[in-house]
Amino acid sequence: MSIATIFEIVLAAVVLGLGIWTIVVRETYSATVGYVAYGLLVALIWVRLDAIDVALTEAAIGGGLGGVLLLGAAARLRDSEPTVADAPGKAVRVCAAILSALTAAALAGAVLVLPDPAPTLAPAAASNAWATSLANPVTNVLMAFRAMDTMLEKVVLLLAIIGVWSLTPDSAWGGRPGPRHQADPHSVLVFLARLLPPIGIVVGIYIFWTGANHPGGAFQGGAILAAMWLLAIMAGLADTPPVRSRWLRLVLIAGPGLFLVVGLAGLLFGAAFLSYPPAQAKPLILGIEVAMILTIAATLGLLLAGAPERSARQ
Amino acid sequence: MTEFLTAAVGFILAMLALGLVSILRGPGDADRMMAAQLIGTGGIATLLLLGTVANLPAAIDVALTLALLATFASIAFVKKGLSSLEADGSASTETT
Repeated sequence: MSIATIFEIVLAAVVLGLGIWTIVVRETYSATVGYVAYGLLVALIWVRLDAIDVALTEAAIGGGLGGVLLLGAAARLRDSEPTVADAPGKAVRVCAAILSALTAAALAGAVLVLPDPAPTLAPAAASNAWATSLANPVTNVLMAFRAMDTMLEKVVLLLAIIGVWSLTPDSAWGGRPGPRHQADPHSVLVFLARLLPPIGIVVGIYIFWTGANHPGGAFQGGAILAAMWLLAIMAGLADTPPVRSRWLRLVLIAGPGLFLVVGLAGLLFGAAFLSYPPAQAKPLILGIEVAMILTIAATLGLLLAGAPERSARQ
Repeated sequence: MTEFLTAAVGFILAMLALGLVSILRGPGDADRMMAAQLIGTGGIATLLLLGTVANLPAAIDVALTLALLATFASIAFVKKGLSSLEADGSASTETT
């Protein structure tokens, strides 16, 4: 058995153990910490499987932003966590256990009956890569061959932010999300919030730009930009924008809007909805991605900031 | 050289597993938080070594992303966990 195999077995065992513990542990806060560590380790597995694009997304969403979102939820739930007295009864627990076991069995069955070899369109995607002059096959599929899915995914992001905003109390409608953070200007947090964002913004734009030919892309880059924005907000160096602001709403619809305009132009002047002429495919895709990275960064940041809580003047 | 680097990855992974024990045992939320940060740092080291071993230069990009977002997550841990940590700082060490 080679060292690489032992490494893989150890990694899989560690991830499985952590996953089970995250489910079993009682306090939400501990489970969230476990989930963040789990996201980091799953990113390692994706690298091991040569799926760098997925690893980047897992590191950005699973280990970073998703963990912080759950953390906020855990902090809110902490006061209302059920005590031993009002724990669910035996019947509820048995039903939940049976339901979970059935779901797990159905998933395992679905994995077992998958056809082997799996049906794949990868050779077709690779042989038509010339049409977009982008070298990263994942970006090719996301932005050209299955562009419709990506466009609808951006619309889903927009729906998610509308869902969060709809929880706003009437008095705060149009106001700013989250509390106004105050920090000592000489504290470590403020120092870090001044030091890290310049580096983070460069890395975020780099991840986006390199996505044309190497693993990366607008979503991963946008997640990094959103994290840097939230860092400045948490240090009190910036405030969340009021949700009624026109420019903010413009940024939120820029990505899906431009995608839709280019798609309709393809319908009018080209072969089909979202068809790019091969000569202009790369500039068109890059233009859509520039609008998308702004939309994604703003949407992810606002999703984590939550519903508006105070009026714009405070 | 590759064998040595892979062995180094294995060693770091063993340290990660130790950090995991610390996440499982606690006892306080702060201990769990620090252990998660240790796992983030170890994960970055593993990624850099793995990228060299498997000749995947893009693994460095994943390491960069992880470095930025692990820092961000640790700040959020402190910011969002702080008020509750102060509120039941003594209680959390007893109950866990």
